[in-house]
Amino acid sequence: MPPARSHGRFPGFVTLLRYTGRMAKLGEVLDSAVAIARGMTVTFKEMLNPPITEEYPDAPPIFEERFRGAHVLERDENGLEKCVACFLCAAACPVQCIYIEAAENTDQVRISGGERYAQVYNIDYNRCIFCGYCVEACPTDAITHGHGFELASADTSALVMRKEDMLRPLGAA
Amino acid sequence: MADLVTFTIDGRQVQAAPRTLLITAAKQAGIEIPAFCYYDGFSLQAACRMCLVEIEKTPKLQVACTTPVTEGMVVRTDSPQVAAARKGMLELLLTNHPLDCPVCDKGGECELQDMVFRYGAGESRFVETKQHVDERQWSPVVFYDKPRCILCYRCVRVCDEGLGVGALGVGDRGSASEIIPNRGDHLECDECGACIDICPVGALTSGTYRYQTRPWEMDHVGTICTFCSNGCKTTLGVRNGEITRANNRDKSGVNGEFLCVKGRYGFDFNHHPERLTAPLVRVNGKLAPASWAQALATVGKKFAEVKQRGGKFGVIGSNHTTNEENYYLQNFARQALGTSNIDHRRTGDVATLIDALHGHAGALATTADLYTTPAALIIGSDLSQQHPFLAWQLRANFRHHQAKVFAITSGPIREDRYAAKTMRAAEGEELTAVESFREHLAQQKSLVILFGDSIKGDAVRKLVAFGDSLGIPVSYVPLVDYSNSRGASDMGVLPDLLPGYHGVREAGLEPGLAYDAILSATDLDALYVVQENPFAKTPLASTGAFVVVQDLFLTETAERADVVLPAASAYEKAGTVTNVCGEVQKLKAGAKTMGAKTDLEIMGLISKEMGVSIGIWKHDTVFAEVRKSVPGYNVALPVVETGGAAPTFPVNGRVPLEDRPDLISSDRNTLFLSGTLGRYSKMLTSVLEYPGKLYGQPVETELEMKEAQNT
Repeated sequence: MPPARSHGRFPGFVTLLRYTGRMAKLGEVLDSAVAIARGMTVTFKEMLNPPITEEYPDAPPIFEERFRGAHVLERDENGLEKCVACFLCAAACPVQCIYIEAAENTDQVRISGGERYAQVYNIDYNRCIFCGYCVEACPTDAITHGHGFELASADTSALVMRKEDMLRPLGAA
Repeated sequence: MADLVTFTIDGRQVQAAPRTLLITAAKQAGIEIPAFCYYDGFSLQAACRMCLVEIEKTPKLQVACTTPVTEGMVVRTDSPQVAAARKGMLELLLTNHPLDCPVCDKGGECELQDMVFRYGAGESRFVETKQHVDERQWSPVVFYDKPRCILCYRCVRVCDEGLGVGALGVGDRGSASEIIPNRGDHLECDECGACIDICPVGALTSGTYRYQTRPWEMDHVGTICTFCSNGCKTTLGVRNGEITRANNRDKSGVNGEFLCVKGRYGFDFNHHPERLTAPLVRVNGKLAPASWAQALATVGKKFAEVKQRGGKFGVIGSNHTTNEENYYLQNFARQALGTSNIDHRRTGDVATLIDALHGHAGALATTADLYTTPAALIIGSDLSQQHPFLAWQLRANFRHHQAKVFAITSGPIREDRYAAKTMRAAEGEELTAVESFREHLAQQKSLVILFGDSIKGDAVRKLVAFGDSLGIPVSYVPLVDYSNSRGASDMGVLPDLLPGYHGVREAGLEPGLAYDAILSATDLDALYVVQENPFAKTPLASTGAFVVVQDLFLTETAERADVVLPAASAYEKAGTVTNVCGEVQKLKAGAKTMGAKTDLEIMGLISKEMGVSIGIWKHDTVFAEVRKSVPGYNVALPVVETGGAAPTFPVNGRVPLEDRPDLISSDRNTLFLSGTLGRYSKMLTSVLEYPGKLYGQPVETELEMKEAQNT
């Protein structure tokens, strides 16, 4: 609104006009306030409800059961490693990211249920494409896809996971 | 050969020689009939019934492995009935076979696995629990897992017929039958591992390879065994630069099926923890690690200095290094060092034989000749122990061609069992004994004479004269000890002979000191030893000599050295070696040891340090030179390059040699010994030292009993 100007002969009219203008403005303000209130109804209503989106990273993410994340090496019911170092996962792997060194179980040191166990079991996550062929190839269901996904690293050498990094902790079935 | 027989197989008309077995005839026609028990070259068993085929006008299916082809026979190998029968057989074989393929060492190269995959018989209708019997260890190298065994009898036959040992048999009946070793719970045998390789399943597994890796994980490198002189091809399974096993899986070498304990299990010296990986230089009386540059500079400087002041050099070559290295070494000695004092441990009198054979064409037998020649005479060697592959060839020759084998030895040998005539004669008296064989030998169509180190010098000439007097074609095999003993001799690592048995005087040189003279010379200034261990037996007389040793380990000789240079083993380099029968074969590099260099490269680098040029130190360049300058070595390159064996006949007129028969002595290495190198193989020593259980109790062998009866 431009500043009101006196026109000499009709000062009262001008003033009246000015008042009327102000009244109109107030009406606008009220209208706007109502519109905003109406528009924000959903927001204000939802402010009180719990969120329906995932809260990652503030809360752990939720995965589909078949999500193919970082591998987990499973244990059997006796707590022994299921892996018998048959090398079939390494053979199935299209990017050759699995490296195994096998060793023999003895009566004193028994690591796996079979005669042989994996002394070294490395997966190079620089290369892994999470295709799941290794899991499919495994005859003892020793290797599974877990739901681990926070694998990014600025250091590529940190992406070579060792058996100890992937093995399911004892007692956690 | 009678006329060929015509028969029909899978609708195709094919021909085969009469009495050919159907399974062989089908293979010739390009049709594979699967079989577990049938094995080419051994007696027939007909145990597995996998080779069932349909033959027209025969009501039931027949086994192809024992049925000879006949005229007009109509055979079907691909009918649904045959497939169903084979599938059924597999189901029966799997009744008790544990499907533990993921842990089984045979997984991936198992014939049963392949067959089950092919006929889809993985599912079984049997619900009974499978019998389990724990795995048993029969020896350091042989493990037996009974449930996996399909009783094909291959191991029994290879041990009995192939090796002549007969350590395995089948015991018990029905589902309890199993293979049993000759000493009840353990084996007393050659430990050759032939039973393990021939086993179609994983019933017999190897102690060294056990649970280490899987067949597809390895690179397979076919090379020549570095132990004895027989020159067997051994295929190294290499993973991450380390040899995990050795076998003869492609059967492409002269040895075919055969390998002895050294070829299969002796490779582990290559990864022995005591392998030298850095040069050692003596500083203040002690050997201390040094860089290659330092060590080579020390050697180069000292050699150049000794050469300049006209000092006395000695060079001792090896029986294990390649032809190229031996050729280069004698060049190095004669040109770079300017000395003729070069020699090697002579283990057989090759030079005299070459001289005595002048004017005889083709009088050196090849390993293949041992299988085809109708008669053989062994003189002064326990062939099965010292030259196991040659013994295998003779045994196969006897088995397949009824060859007549004669033997004159000082003690009982395994060949006595099937030999046409044997005789005991003290060493050195064999030539008198041989006269009593004249009548028998002269009746033969042709003859191979294999003679040991007791026949040397004049005795060789007399033996050749005896051979000539028989009036039949006679060929010879001088039994030398190590993988390239023959090559060291052919390449002129001798004080009086140049490569190809040319006299040194032809080149205007004087003969130098021989092996013993080098070691006993008190005024020697420098000694250069390449992969040999002379000080193990004789100490060096010259205390002030500068000694340079190239070796794999810190041997007795290396301990005395002033500079020790770590050398690569035969499994780590390329080149050629010549076996006992003069066949040139190629080595291929399989493993790798950090820090070690090949002898060829070391010699080249020393000559460079000395500022002398004796040619490029690349094995193929040197071999090209060898082919040009050594008579008989102009072998067909494609044969050698593709892993074949090219026979050489380096006979070229008289050899102007100085007879030194006293220098010739064989080490008489038996199956479990191989000079210094054998000491560093854990498996070979474990077989030897496995106390009490295996070799501790003296067991009367059949031979000893026979011997006792005779005397």
